[in-house]
Amino acid sequence: MSAQIPISTFKPYRGEKARLARAYDYLILVLALFLFIGSFHLHFALTVGDWDFWVDWKDRQWWPLVTPLIGITFPAAVQAVLWDKFRLPLGATLCVAALLLGTWVTRVFAYHYWNYFPINMVLPATMIPGALVLDTLLMLTNSLTITSIFGGAAFALLFYPTNWPIFGMFHQPVEVANSQLTVADLFGFQYIRTGMPEYLRIIERGTLRTYGQYATPLAAFCSALLCSLMYPLWWYIGKWFANTRYLKKI
Amino acid sequence: MATTTEHVSLSTEKPKSLPWYLIDLPKYLKGFGFLTIMYIGLRLYQGAFAIAHGLDSSEPAFEQYWMRLFYIELVIIAAVASGFWGYLWLSRDRQLDQLAPKEEIRRYFTLTMWISIYTFAVYWAGSYFAEQDNSWHQVAIRDTPFTANHIIEFYFNFPLYVILGGCAWLYARTRLPLYAKGISLPLTLAVFGPFMILVSVGFNEWGHTFWFREEFFAAPIHWGFVIGVWFALGVGGILLQGVTRLIELLDKIEDAE
Repeated sequence: MSAQIPISTFKPYRGEKARLARAYDYLILVLALFLFIGSFHLHFALTVGDWDFWVDWKDRQWWPLVTPLIGITFPAAVQAVLWDKFRLPLGATLCVAALLLGTWVTRVFAYHYWNYFPINMVLPATMIPGALVLDTLLMLTNSLTITSIFGGAAFALLFYPTNWPIFGMFHQPVEVANSQLTVADLFGFQYIRTGMPEYLRIIERGTLRTYGQYATPLAAFCSALLCSLMYPLWWYIGKWFANTRYLKKI
Repeated sequence: MATTTEHVSLSTEKPKSLPWYLIDLPKYLKGFGFLTIMYIGLRLYQGAFAIAHGLDSSEPAFEQYWMRLFYIELVIIAAVASGFWGYLWLSRDRQLDQLAPKEEIRRYFTLTMWISIYTFAVYWAGSYFAEQDNSWHQVAIRDTPFTANHIIEFYFNFPLYVILGGCAWLYARTRLPLYAKGISLPLTLAVFGPFMILVSVGFNEWGHTFWFREEFFAAPIHWGFVIGVWFALGVGGILLQGVTRLIELLDKIEDAE
């Protein structure tokens, strides 16, 4: 049973105290924005990376598995602080929105304007819908267990369908030089990258492809299971990092 | 509209000064502005000279346009590190036990500004220029650890955020009683963890002596950087330490009044 705290315990700040607290909030907002863009983006680019960079990497087997699995890490860690300590139900959405902002800036200025990749070739995927569900579920249930199981699963399962309106058009078949391929593959062949050959060796291997149209839901449900486990793990990692200890020596 | 004496008296009033806890706000905003101009300037330099003179490290133009920039960066990094760290240490408060609550609150605001400047530098190093490295290696084969993007990312952006993180750590250690009495674990994690990203450059470049393309950016050879950046989550602990202390200090001021 939760402790009954009388409402009268909470006295809202007034006057200078309130203005000071608000000024501190704004400072923290700016700090947090750049912190999460910088740290979550580096983590994401070096673990999901290629699947998010290139339209022709967005396959049925690995993309729906790897992206939510890595994408749920920072949201869980940040929720552990913002919800647990400040009752702010926005940790996941804040992280994912910051990531999206960072990736968009990079795709436009580092890929398109520097090395002339078409912007459609390097569109980032979105995890905003899953993050909204994760935050809402935590707020409504106030339960790590329920959020892990249902929120983690929803974060993974929502990934493919919510990205389909962005990327579905690139899966249209086209015939080029007597071969059938997707528009996404055509991008890959037209804009040669060092990443291309290794991509073919990794993606074209694997027996899950023999399942045909079931490959994507299978990958998504596998991701749902793993996200349910990843979520509490990163919740506790976030909690550990956000400790308030002072040491005698380091 | 006619001008009245009321309007005249209003217009001759002194401009409102900043509240006492935001005295360092102009310096903070100038810091943000300076860093923004500097990073955009570096990106424009890349746009102008990377493809023209940065594809082949054996060409004389590479030495002129890129290695010269690298040497200039080393001098700037050494000067900034010794200047900022030296200043923060030498101007330390030696009477912290007599610190007034209002002054301590002001210093917590300044510490937050230092950490904010640090995270802004982490943004450019960890987000923009880091992913830009993948873009560059998709079109240019690396023939040197000093590529047109590495010279800016690894050997300037990384050391610069380490210096700024060190400034935040030193500021807290030399000017705030709680941080002077004990070493804050979350602040130390948030500064020293990302510092390990700089060290990971060694592992990364050693690995790339075997593997000179960028077929797979999400490869284990890059995961040293990833583990380093997890430690930035320590900022949550710094926030908790700061908020707890600010509440105590505000109550102390209120009780005194």
